Amino acid sequence: MKISISRTQWISIAAVAFMLLLWKGLALYFDSDFILPHPEDTLVKTLSLFGESQFLFVVGATILRGVIGFAISLIFGVGLGIAAGLSNDFNAFLKPILVVLRSTPVIAIILLALIWLNANSVPIFIAILTMFPFICTNTIDGIRSVDKQLVEMAQVYRVGRLRIVREVYVPAIMPFIISGASSAMGIGWRAIIIGEVLSQPRYGIGTVMHSAQTFLNVDAVIAWTIIAVLLSYIFERIIRLTEKRIVVWRAKQ
Amino acid sequence: MSLHIINLHKSYGDLLLFSNFNLDFAEGEITCILGPSGGGKTTLLNIIAGLVEPNGGNLVGFNGKVLSYIFQDPRLLPWQTVQENIEFVLTDAYEQTQRQAIASRFIKLVELTGFASYYPSQLSGGMRQRVAIARAFAYPSDLILMDEPLKGLDVKLKMNLLKAFSRIWQADKRTVIFVTHDVDEALMLGNTIIVLGDIPIAVKARVSIDIDLKKRDMSSDYFKNLRLILHNALGD
Repeated sequence: MKISISRTQWISIAAVAFMLLLWKGLALYFDSDFILPHPEDTLVKTLSLFGESQFLFVVGATILRGVIGFAISLIFGVGLGIAAGLSNDFNAFLKPILVVLRSTPVIAIILLALIWLNANSVPIFIAILTMFPFICTNTIDGIRSVDKQLVEMAQVYRVGRLRIVREVYVPAIMPFIISGASSAMGIGWRAIIIGEVLSQPRYGIGTVMHSAQTFLNVDAVIAWTIIAVLLSYIFERIIRLTEKRIVVWRAKQ
Repeated sequence: MSLHIINLHKSYGDLLLFSNFNLDFAEGEITCILGPSGGGKTTLLNIIAGLVEPNGGNLVGFNGKVLSYIFQDPRLLPWQTVQENIEFVLTDAYEQTQRQAIASRFIKLVELTGFASYYPSQLSGGMRQRVAIARAFAYPSDLILMDEPLKGLDVKLKMNLLKAFSRIWQADKRTVIFVTHDVDEALMLGNTIIVLGDIPIAVKARVSIDIDLKKRDMSSDYFKNLRLILHNALGD
């Protein structure tokens, strides 16, 4: 198979190379593993993490929290979003709640969650509160953008309300839900790891990052960061692949 | 049997569309409504369809009638295939196997065999409108409303669609109310042609044609004469 690389891909590769060079330059300048380890050492450290006996538990626990938080946000975000998109009254009720959720600093939610909940659920709770507003807002926007003429057509043909929601509204808002899910995921992983750093559950990327930081293992902190970035990237790809499969009618033009 | 619109009243703000407006439609016939574009003809159809509330008046005989509506735009669901778009309106009325058979039959009637699994985005404008026609006829309705479904299509396509339409109509002779601003479309399809004037709308002329759709010769003196009468009534 011949792999061809486009011009923009070359530029992106150059950007990564630039970041690595900058990192190497700074590492040489500080010349201390306690401040900034060398990129190649960090890479070795990252790879060595995969071999650690606890690795699967640590990453698995974080992924599990992410997936649970995401699933709950998705169910409530889409459900309430559809209701608010269809009913102005319910939208008026939901709007202030969303505004408060979106403008509350994550750290404030964490501090409260630490008092209310156990260490394992704090990150999930925070993930839900950060992801839900994104998905919900996008769903509302999606419903608002639905072609009213299609709805009118369905009504003339006496299609039931539930089927209108399922076959007219839901497919129409799918691209909105996916873009909401994608930004929610991006923010969600960060929120989960902050939550883990502060709540210290037994397993979790945040937990191990925090202990590495305590012992000034800067290379381990960065190595775990790289793994967190990879995780976020993998889930972003999964969402995009799902989009291609669901929105097949768009691609077929 | 016939349908009546009695003393219809409808205005939008200061714009008075209908005042004491009366009109009858014969059942089992195609009634064409001719009138200037944007003169409230769509509003009339929407009132009949129950999409717009009139300010006053009575619709007699329409109660309980099941409607199909062919809009100016095809209004197909972009995420459903041709087959699915037709089945979409049949789901509550038929079992799955029956529904598939009906959809396939009408796809064939509008000459779209082989396109059943295509999405609307993969079809031309004329093909999409044919799907909308198939959907309207596949639906078990008593009355079909058509709002200038051929507007903006080229002449050849128009003729094809008109032929497709009259072929399907011959099969079950449903009541059709066909709004258009094109005199020739009305002459080709109408059993009755009604000419409406400017707002507030009143009936300016009413013509009946007792010739079978298949036997109409547009170049005959009879139709030339009718064409002249209708153009005069329209004030062209």
